[in-house]
Amino acid sequence: MSIAVAKPLARTSRVLSYAAALLETMDGALRDHSNVFVMGQGVDDFKGIFGSTTGLAEKYGANRVFDVPLMEEGMTGVAIGAALVGDYPITTHIRADFSFLAMNQIINLAAKYSYMFGGLMRCPMLIRIVVGRSWGQGAQHSQSPQATFAHYPGLTVIMPSSSQAVLDMYPAIINRYPGPVISIEHRLLYNLDFTVSAADTRVPVTSYVAHAGRDVTVVATSVMVLEALRAAQYVQDRTGVSAEIIDLNSISHPNWDLVADSVRKTGRLVIADTSWLEYGMAGEVCRQLMTRDPGLLKSPPSMLGMAPAPCPTAKSLEDIYYPSQHETVDAILRQVKGEKHGVALPVERSMTEGYKRFRGPF
Amino acid sequence: MKDEAIYRRLFRTALLIRLVEERIIALYPSDKIQSPVHLSIGQEAVAVGVCDALRADDLVFATYRSHGFYIAKGGQLDAMFAELYGRKYGISGGKAGSMHLAAPEVGLMGSSAVVASTIPHAVGAALSFKRRGSSRIAVAAFGDGATEEGVYHESLNFAALMKVPVLFLCEDNGLAVHSHRRARQSYGLIDHAAAYGIPGRRLEEGWDLLAVRQATLEATARVRAGQTFVLEIATSRYKEHVGVGEDFHFNYRTSVSVEAWKRQDPLIVDAKLAAELRPEVEREIDDAVAYAEASPAPGRAELLTDVI
Repeated sequence: MSIAVAKPLARTSRVLSYAAALLETMDGALRDHSNVFVMGQGVDDFKGIFGSTTGLAEKYGANRVFDVPLMEEGMTGVAIGAALVGDYPITTHIRADFSFLAMNQIINLAAKYSYMFGGLMRCPMLIRIVVGRSWGQGAQHSQSPQATFAHYPGLTVIMPSSSQAVLDMYPAIINRYPGPVISIEHRLLYNLDFTVSAADTRVPVTSYVAHAGRDVTVVATSVMVLEALRAAQYVQDRTGVSAEIIDLNSISHPNWDLVADSVRKTGRLVIADTSWLEYGMAGEVCRQLMTRDPGLLKSPPSMLGMAPAPCPTAKSLEDIYYPSQHETVDAILRQVKGEKHGVALPVERSMTEGYKRFRGPF
Repeated sequence: MKDEAIYRRLFRTALLIRLVEERIIALYPSDKIQSPVHLSIGQEAVAVGVCDALRADDLVFATYRSHGFYIAKGGQLDAMFAELYGRKYGISGGKAGSMHLAAPEVGLMGSSAVVASTIPHAVGAALSFKRRGSSRIAVAAFGDGATEEGVYHESLNFAALMKVPVLFLCEDNGLAVHSHRRARQSYGLIDHAAAYGIPGRRLEEGWDLLAVRQATLEATARVRAGQTFVLEIATSRYKEHVGVGEDFHFNYRTSVSVEAWKRQDPLIVDAKLAAELRPEVEREIDDAVAYAEASPAPGRAELLTDVI
C-alpha cells in the first residue's frame, strides 16, 4: 500500500497549467521510452488535444505521434496489438463519451488479457479520455465514466485532479504499470494553473489527503477535489470548521484504509463526484465504509454529483445540473453545524464563472 | 519429391488436429472438458497451410475456433489438453479454456470469443513491426461472419492507410453460427477489400494443403514487402457451431456440400497415409491427455492472480 501524502510544502516550486503538465509528461514519455507512441484523433493537429500534445508530432515524427481515422474501437484494438508485442501505446479521446465506441476492446479485451491468458499476455497502455463540462456540452460531451470502467476487474482508472497529480502519476504508469490504465482528465482543469513542487514526495497512484482537517471528511474526484478545496477554505475562513479533503484519485484502486481512518477521526462525510450518484463512486465509498464499520458516521453522509438526468445544454439548466460551490459549502457546513448553520453561502452558482474570476494557481 | 515431403509434413499436422478434435469428441461426454468447444474439423487445411507458410517469428491472431491454429503454429499439446481440462498446468492455468488458446512463444497471440475482436490486434502488431523496420508480419485470422463487424472495416482502412504488413485471412465456411453468408452479406470480400485499395485473392480449394500453403506464400511475400493483403479461403465446417455433434438434422443446412467437401478432404481421401501416421499421432495425444489428467486443478491461490 502506498503511503498517502499531503501536498508537500515546496522548496522549489513553479506554476504549471494542467495542459502543460500533460504536455510535459507526454514529451517525457516519448523522450525516455522509444517504445512509446501517441495516437488519437487530432493528436498531431494545431490544437493538439487542448494543448497536451502540441508540437510532439513535429518533435518526434509521425512514427511516434499520429492522427487516426474515426475508429475508436479499431484504434484501441491496434493499441492492444502493439502493446502485446512490446510497444507502449497512449491513446486519446477528446471526449470521454467517444471511448464508449471502444468499449468492446477496453472491456472484453484489454481488461481481460492478463487474467484470461493466465498472465501470458499483457497489454499495458494508457487511454486518456477527457470529460467535458460547461458552455453547452450537452448530453454526449459531458459524461464522466469512472464508475463504469472501475467496475471491470483488469482496468485501472485514475482521475488526476491537478498538474502535480499528472506529473507524478503519468511517469509512474507509462511503460511501468503492468496493465491498461484509463486516465479520466477533466476539461475544466486544462486551463487552470497549479503550483507544482519539485519535492521528493509524490502523488501516489491511489488516494491521498489533499488537505488535512479534523471536523468532516470530504472524499472527492477530479475537478470536485478543487471545488472541495475551495469550499474548505471558505468555511475555514468564516467558521473555523476544518474539512479534510481526500482525493480518491485512483477510482479502481483507492486507499480505503485512508478514507476509513479519516472518517473514523471526523465521523462526518461528504462525497463529491463528477458523475451520477446512482450505482457510482458515492455508493462504493459507502459500501467500503459500511462493511468496515457501520458505526463510523455520526450522521448520514452528504453526496454531491450530477442530477439524475442526461446533461442539459441550456446554461440555466446546466448551472443547476452540477453541484455548485454554494452546495459544496452548504454540504460541509450541514455535516458539522447542522441544517440551520446560519453561515452565508457563496453566491457563485456556476463553477466555470468562478474559475474565470479565480484562475489559480491552486 | 520436395512437394511430397512438404505434403507429408502438412498432412501430419492436419491429421494431428483432426485426431485431437476427435479425441475431444470422445472425451466430451465424460464432462472432463467443461468448456464450450468450437471444432475445426473440415477446416484443418487452412490453419496448417497458412502456418506452414509463415516464419516462426510471424504472429497469428485468432478466434474461438482455434485448436487448429494453436497446433499448426506449434503450441504444446500437453498444455493445450490441460487447458481444456481446466487444470493448473494448462497454457493459462485453466483460466482460458478452449476459446482463448494462446502460445506467444510460437506466435499465436491470443484467441477471442468476441467475433472480429482480434483483427485490429494483428494490425497493431504489424504497425509495431513497421515502426521498428522489422520484416515480421502479422496474420489476422477470422471467419466470414467477422467481416460484417464494424471493426473489420476500421482495420482494413487503417491498415491500408498506414501500409502495415498484415495479412487478413478469412476462413470462409459460409456460416455464422446457423446463418448462411448469402443472408448476411451484400458484398464480395475481395471486391470490398479492393475499395480500400487492398489486393486480395479467393482460394476455392481450401481442402488442398499445398494450395493453401502456396497461396499463403505468395500473399505473405507481398505483405512482407509492405502490401496489406486479403486472402479468402473457402472451407467447410463439418460439425455444429459449438459442441461436438453434427447439426444437419436441424435442417438449416444439408449435408450435401459437406459430403462434397469430404470427397476432396485429404485426411479422408488419402487413407493410406492417414493409417500409416495414425498410431504415432494417437500416442502423442495419449501422452497429452495423460498430462492433463495428472495436472492438479487451480484453486483459491490462483483465483485472483494476474488480474491487472
